[in-house]
Amino acid sequence: MPNAHRACDDFRSTSESRRRSFLDTPLSRRQVIGRGLGAGLAVYAAKAMPIARILEAASAEAAVAPNAPVVVAVFLPGGCDLLDTIVPVGQYGRYADLRPSVKIDAPLPLGSTGLGVNPQLTGIKDLFEAGKIGLMPGIDYANPDLSHFHSRHFWETGLITPDQATGWLGRWLDHGGSQDNPLQGVSMDYSLSPVLRSGSAPVAAVSSPDGAQFWIPGMWGTAFDRAMETWTQISSARPAAPGPAAAHAAARQAKAVADILAPYQKDDKGNDPLKGTITYPDGDLSERLQVLAGLLSLPLGIRVATVDANGDFDTHDNQAKELSDGLAEVSGALAAFQADIEARGVADRVLTLVWSEFGRRPEQNDSGGTDHGAGGIAWVQGTRVAGGVLTDYPDLNRFDSEDNLNVTVDFRRVYCSVLEQWLGTDAAQVIPNAGAFGRLQLVR
Amino acid sequence: MARPSSRWTDLHVRRLFWRAGFGATDKEATHFAKRGKQATLNWIVNGGKGPSMVGPAPTVDGHTLDPTNEWGHDVLWWLDRMVRSQRPLVEKMTLFWHDHFATRDQDRPLMLRQNKMLRGRALGPFPTLLKAVTLDPAMQMFLSLADSDKEAPNENYARELMELFTLGKGYSEHDIREAARALTGFQTHWTRGGDFGGITYEPDNHDPGMKKIFHKRGRFDWHDVVALVTQHPNHAPFLVEKLWAYFVTEPLDRRTRTRLVHVYRSSGLKIKPLVAAILAHPKLYAKLDSPEMVKSPVVFVTGALRSTHRYIDDDNWSWLLDNMGQYPFEPPSVAGWDWGPAWLNTNTARARFTAVNYLVQHPPLKVDDKSISPELSADEHLAMALEAVGNPWISKSTESSLKAMVSRLSQGAKSWEIQSRADMTQRALRHLLLSGPDAQLH
Repeated sequence: MPNAHRACDDFRSTSESRRRSFLDTPLSRRQVIGRGLGAGLAVYAAKAMPIARILEAASAEAAVAPNAPVVVAVFLPGGCDLLDTIVPVGQYGRYADLRPSVKIDAPLPLGSTGLGVNPQLTGIKDLFEAGKIGLMPGIDYANPDLSHFHSRHFWETGLITPDQATGWLGRWLDHGGSQDNPLQGVSMDYSLSPVLRSGSAPVAAVSSPDGAQFWIPGMWGTAFDRAMETWTQISSARPAAPGPAAAHAAARQAKAVADILAPYQKDDKGNDPLKGTITYPDGDLSERLQVLAGLLSLPLGIRVATVDANGDFDTHDNQAKELSDGLAEVSGALAAFQADIEARGVADRVLTLVWSEFGRRPEQNDSGGTDHGAGGIAWVQGTRVAGGVLTDYPDLNRFDSEDNLNVTVDFRRVYCSVLEQWLGTDAAQVIPNAGAFGRLQLVR
Repeated sequence: MARPSSRWTDLHVRRLFWRAGFGATDKEATHFAKRGKQATLNWIVNGGKGPSMVGPAPTVDGHTLDPTNEWGHDVLWWLDRMVRSQRPLVEKMTLFWHDHFATRDQDRPLMLRQNKMLRGRALGPFPTLLKAVTLDPAMQMFLSLADSDKEAPNENYARELMELFTLGKGYSEHDIREAARALTGFQTHWTRGGDFGGITYEPDNHDPGMKKIFHKRGRFDWHDVVALVTQHPNHAPFLVEKLWAYFVTEPLDRRTRTRLVHVYRSSGLKIKPLVAAILAHPKLYAKLDSPEMVKSPVVFVTGALRSTHRYIDDDNWSWLLDNMGQYPFEPPSVAGWDWGPAWLNTNTARARFTAVNYLVQHPPLKVDDKSISPELSADEHLAMALEAVGNPWISKSTESSLKAMVSRLSQGAKSWEIQSRADMTQRALRHLLLSGPDAQLH
């Protein structure tokens, strides 16, 4: 449709909690469908792909570069507030004036940095103290656009443009990725993150555990197999119009995916071949990260992955509770994910970048919340990142002409640094005018 | 190439019913093909005599629905309306407005109240609808209009009002901030038990000062903001383009666009004449033999239920719709759903296949063991299955593949398998007619 934000998609993923009710459905068939990587897999490819050979392509890719670095981009949708997430303990008086009813009373101090974290971020604090977190307060871009959709679109594409464009990590795959392995870029969701939208490189979306297999009630054996051969036949046409093309491609590829993922299902006793040793807290973000950790431990050639947090960080009202709930899930899930990939021995290959589309206004509103603002929060996480506070915290006594925080680092400086220092690419191939943004040392 | 036909056939009726509603039953297609284009359009746009809903009331496990308290029953409640409605356009437009004024994360009673509000104004004057939306508690709380006051105007609603609801472009950040000031004054009340107790307009909370919006100055309030955005030159083309794309896949040419903008403006911004003009447009009836619009999940499920005379009698449709990517009352964001080919990927395609399982394993589509004669020819088998699922459109190549399947399924059957193969053949045909690529298009 018709939607003014076609280029920007939605800014919150569809509710996974609704989907989970599926898992609780008392349906005998579910036990034999299996979960594991037997997750649904959606492949996005510009050219016709030999989709039945995805796993071959993936393992071939992985064999070429078994230790290739991976970027995991975790999105906090809605515009995460900086001040109540990473609290400016050193400017507390001014902070408390700006936030009379939503301030954090007892932030957990981060050493001698002059900063503290929201009390829900205990997992993040531990990682920070272990030198595995590099915080980037004040991140944004000049003259910020305060629309969710516009700002999100800029962050997703790495371009300040209202036009439809490829995602910054999708574009990196176009330049440096494989033309055969869609698993090189995976969104842990039902559909592809715009961050991974590519021009030519194939990419994929892997949903939460759920069967990929087909079945028809009252059919079995040879008759069922022949019916599914007919399914393949009726979906083999390649019409030109976008609607019919999508209808045929989705039908055709869904069946191919079911076939290739069949071996990865849980076994009859319910054993999940992908499960690790770390226990995650409950929650959708945890589930997505746990599946991702399992996939990262397999030779699939994953290079970039996107995961969306479930919380709503668009805290116009009742920020004290909403933000705490969102941050609690993020902290618990990311700490478990870090422990999981370390236990699996793949952590040295993984850099996690946590981002949100903008920050919020320093002065709270009268709804106990904060409106869209500038100067947000992002961080890098991993065993090999440069730990610490990597950018200047905005000065609470000097706002811009719109009464917003002054931006202290352009997000494209971070992108360029990740591309060069972690992915080993000339950033100019991905980010136009890359030389102009300077660099941050993100990797140690 | 055949000349464009001026005839009104059951294919035209089926196309119109799909686009303006959720598909035609066999009976409807035959009936309205005889009545002609004008009478059919009149029935679609204005409704007929007779009850607004027909068929048995919805149940789950034999019980009536509890939309406020039971998970998924809100969705079933609306789905039932769409399935049984004799005013399909009203439901289809309610779905349009739910996507357009997308609201989520709110309490069920408020969402159901909003749904009723949207339905009541779905085809009336747009400014009236927009006023009701602006006052709607679910919307006010979703976009923080409630409790936005003169001390600290909240810009959330003002921004989406211009960006998503009325204009798309043609306004500035300054306009948003000033409109946010003008929109102040609404206050939420809570009961002692912490329940929602209504929203009132409190003049003391309103900013009465001068504002400048779209280069006009005045002591504007929320009524003025609704008037300003609906009178803005970008509003009519914005809504015309969005409605066109909801109903028609062919591009909107400049002349038609100008004409539709005129229809909308000269009617005093009424929705019904604009929608009626779109539904009568020849481009809606393009490519009757190769439809190109992807059914949204709600349209797919409702259409399959209607055409197979199945009513709401279990609660699986709710999670199935969620897996297909369209869970009513919880759109993904204030921008609504992404429509068109974006509905379909390998995950959602499989979810649609699974949904059809829930159609074919229950009456009236269920094929009982030993109910199908092994003597049926391929043509007879296919005719029986087509009849059962409401004679939907299928392409010639699908038709020949399905006939070939009939003979392939009987091949190599041992004597004790012949009966079960006949049953399974009919099961497979019904399933693939409802789940295959052709069934995703309308």
